[in-house]
Amino acid sequence: MSQVFHDIEKKIITSLKENPIQTPETLEKSTQLLPDQIRRGIEWLKLKNLAIVDESKSSTISLGKNGLDSFEKGLPERRLLNLVKNGPRKLSDLQKELGFIFGPAMGLCRKNNWIETSSDKIILKITPSILPGEKTIQQIGKNKLSKEQIDKIDLTELLKRPDFIVEDIIKSKKISLTTSAKSIDVSNTSGAIDVEAEVPEIFVARTHPLKDTIDEIREIFVTLGFSEILGNMTQSSFWNFDALFTPQDHPARELQDTFFLDGISAKKIGTVEQIRKVSDSHKKNWRYQWDINEARKMVLRTHTTCVTIKHLAENKPDEARIFSLGRVFRNEKVSYKHLVEFNQIEGIVVGKDANLRNLMGIQREFYKRIGITKIKFWPTFFPYTEPSLQTMVYNEKLGKWIELFGMGIFRPEVTKPLGITKPVLAWGGGIERIAMLKYDLDDVREFYNNNLGWLRSNTKCQ
Amino acid sequence: MPVIELSYSRLQKLIGKVSKKQISDSLPFLGLDIESEDKDLVRIEYSPNRPDYSTDYGVALGLQGLLGIKTGLVKLAIKKSKNYGITVKPTVSKIRPFVTGIIAKNGKIDDKTIKQLMTMQEDLHFGIGRKRKKSSIGIHDLDKISFPLIYTTVSRNHKFIPLNSEKELSISEIITDTETGKDYGPLLGQSSQVPIIIDTNKKTVSFPPIINAAITTVTTKTKNLFVEVTGINKDDAEDMLSVVATILQSAGFNLEHIQISGAKNSSPKLQEKKMTVDSSLINQTLGLNLNTSKIISSLKKSRLNALSKGKNIICTIPAYRFDIFGPMDLVEEVALGYGIQNFEPTISPSQTLGQINPISLQLKSLNQTMIGLGFLEALNSSLSSKRVLYDMTNRDSKNIISVLDSKSQEHTILRDSILPGLIENLSRNIHESYPQKMFETGGIFNLDNPISEKTNLSAISAHKDANFTEIKSVLQTVLKIGFGIEIQTKTAVNSSFEDGHCANIIFNGNIIGIIGEINSKIIDNYKIRVPVVGFEISLSDSILKFI
Repeated sequence: MSQVFHDIEKKIITSLKENPIQTPETLEKSTQLLPDQIRRGIEWLKLKNLAIVDESKSSTISLGKNGLDSFEKGLPERRLLNLVKNGPRKLSDLQKELGFIFGPAMGLCRKNNWIETSSDKIILKITPSILPGEKTIQQIGKNKLSKEQIDKIDLTELLKRPDFIVEDIIKSKKISLTTSAKSIDVSNTSGAIDVEAEVPEIFVARTHPLKDTIDEIREIFVTLGFSEILGNMTQSSFWNFDALFTPQDHPARELQDTFFLDGISAKKIGTVEQIRKVSDSHKKNWRYQWDINEARKMVLRTHTTCVTIKHLAENKPDEARIFSLGRVFRNEKVSYKHLVEFNQIEGIVVGKDANLRNLMGIQREFYKRIGITKIKFWPTFFPYTEPSLQTMVYNEKLGKWIELFGMGIFRPEVTKPLGITKPVLAWGGGIERIAMLKYDLDDVREFYNNNLGWLRSNTKCQ
Repeated sequence: MPVIELSYSRLQKLIGKVSKKQISDSLPFLGLDIESEDKDLVRIEYSPNRPDYSTDYGVALGLQGLLGIKTGLVKLAIKKSKNYGITVKPTVSKIRPFVTGIIAKNGKIDDKTIKQLMTMQEDLHFGIGRKRKKSSIGIHDLDKISFPLIYTTVSRNHKFIPLNSEKELSISEIITDTETGKDYGPLLGQSSQVPIIIDTNKKTVSFPPIINAAITTVTTKTKNLFVEVTGINKDDAEDMLSVVATILQSAGFNLEHIQISGAKNSSPKLQEKKMTVDSSLINQTLGLNLNTSKIISSLKKSRLNALSKGKNIICTIPAYRFDIFGPMDLVEEVALGYGIQNFEPTISPSQTLGQINPISLQLKSLNQTMIGLGFLEALNSSLSSKRVLYDMTNRDSKNIISVLDSKSQEHTILRDSILPGLIENLSRNIHESYPQKMFETGGIFNLDNPISEKTNLSAISAHKDANFTEIKSVLQTVLKIGFGIEIQTKTAVNSSFEDGHCANIIFNGNIIGIIGEINSKIIDNYKIRVPVVGFEISLSDSILKFI
């Protein structure tokens, strides 16, 4: 069977037949192909066992910015020594004359005991005839030399100094044909192309995988009859904590768990009535002196519940299905499990007949739609809901139950002071956790690394 | 949430006839998450509102109820006694006004019991005691103390041998030299007088809320205990005492009263309270149809007592269940006693129509347009760092919004711009093939009484031929095709961009953003080897304004 060759391959083979050992650069000239085409062509021929590629490495050395400076004016320490050659000089004068090289020059001269300082004067002790590195700097000058030509010890001295030496590693490739390739007659092949050959990779522009998950979740809740509301990421402690019946001395309100904004307090946090009723509920039930200044402190919201409760307090609906979705913040050490900032979905149902079994039913339906069918509910505790539950979902791959959304019915101590009269079912949880299951990730940080390798290769439909 | 370590075999002894599997299956339904298991040991996480679960005695009471082995209320049997008294002097009123306590006799204490009591004490201090500020406990060997006691104040020169010390130390030395002194000394402020409990022979018993005296240390030889709780609020102190009393009674001790008098103090009552809940509230909230006897038996499984009066359920709640504020808490107790696993989820038809927020929809269209233009979506944290936001990009850091005490150096300042993050992203991808084109939409923050939050779009393109024309074409197209908006660009100077290659983006006469070739110094800072161009615009001030 006659082999099919790409035009690129044909040109390379032809050129190599005329001139048996070449570099990619000489091939570029002789074939008039682009560097990338040459690279690909060689790769293809190598895969077909038609070309041999010999790779070797060598280094060239030239002077960097500071190296060139020293070539022209002398090494910093030589320049300092020259200045004190004819008698002691004032330190401040030398500093002025030498500028930023003064420091390093002084250091070296002192270390080697070439000079001594007496009060504000610098006095020469010995003038070394040749300094380490001097010979090499003169040798290189403005040229590029092969590394082998240079004294190794002298060079090591200079490599320690910033921007003195520039080392270029040159990889060279020598390409030749294998014996079997030499007998190929490329002119004899038909106009067919090699449809089996590898093609270059191209990258698709796309949405972020985490955004895909967020959009998917958003759409599920919309189809379940929920409307989306938005709210600020910075909130007063009043809406993030006080309105949700979290006492002001609660551990969650300490710096080690919550991000407080440095020196920033809200002037207006709610209506006079809201503030009065919320603080009364705290004083009565938690028995402490409620402090409005504590409630004014601005925080990065620790949950999106603050957005929902504010919406409820402002609108007081008798019947509603609402959700909010967005970034929330916790002051945690970043690890493969924890981020300081992640996305949360939080939903509520308001209605006179809303009950715990409905709440569980909505969860079950949601999980079903994202492909999780093995779920169970456990009781738990949240300061602002009663009863409170958490969902456990079974992860086949890990072979264990993992905790997903928390949920509950807003406590009367939360709803009553804000004038909300109907039961409010609420639930919420982190989205990254769901996305990690979906994309099979072990490290949650990957979502925010913007690592193009991962973003470009991740399968979109999973 | 606090975590404690329990032993299955010890739990089995405390609960009665029960298998290890029954215990591990039931723990989650009490609200106790199993963290890890290792043969006989199990580590569980409990909610801070249930301090009674800080010992295996408390967990055993709960499990007995849930498994139906012993149900109903745990009654405290406290023997009246005139042998024990504490007199409170008025001087304590300004520092730590209240003391309460109880005597627990004839118990057996082994190492494991001591360990459980120690964890309970620590957890109570940390949780409801709010790191000993609100209330704190001391547990002492009763037989080393001569009653009656005095709760009073002494000067900081007062000396005694504190726990874990061999020699006498003054109060000042305890506060400056011992671990607990350093941790909790600040609770006493600058006051020259500090609270102290002294026995009738003038021996120091306790220096609340810091440390006990060494002489009253509880060991495996101890038979009888004296427990004192001090605090800044009488009810809180009694709440804490009620937990300890219940646990000690469950551990086999016989409780006896202490008479407390003087300076607004009085003897603890540790009384049960009554609360009524309408059975229809229970059924409505839970979505069940339970008759009163099922409700009562469920409450008893939650270790409460209950009886019915018509539709109403009258509950008796022991003192240690101070987490029960009102009827809704009783609804939860019914749910737990009934068993969460017995609830069948139902879906009720929606009465409302769902809607995506118009802003989310607009942002989605914008994303699609950017992707059509060949840009990949990136996501960065809104909480960034001075390095990324300002230092690496030569930006002015005058009006930064920072957070307090961040545990992560990379997350200390709220971003006021998205672009610096995207440039940093390029620096992490220098080994990936070019062109690299990315965009991000997201929130940015500015100081504005107190803070204004806006949504921005930023895009960058990095490759060997990247230039101003390319990125302006992108900006122009995304706004025109996406939203029918026309913009102009007017020459500008900005430290993040190359001079002469930078422009303000003008819409309706207002500056809504900036565009240009990124300053080569920034590119050098990040060791990026190709030119980078980019723009950032405020969406809140342009397309989102009209929604």
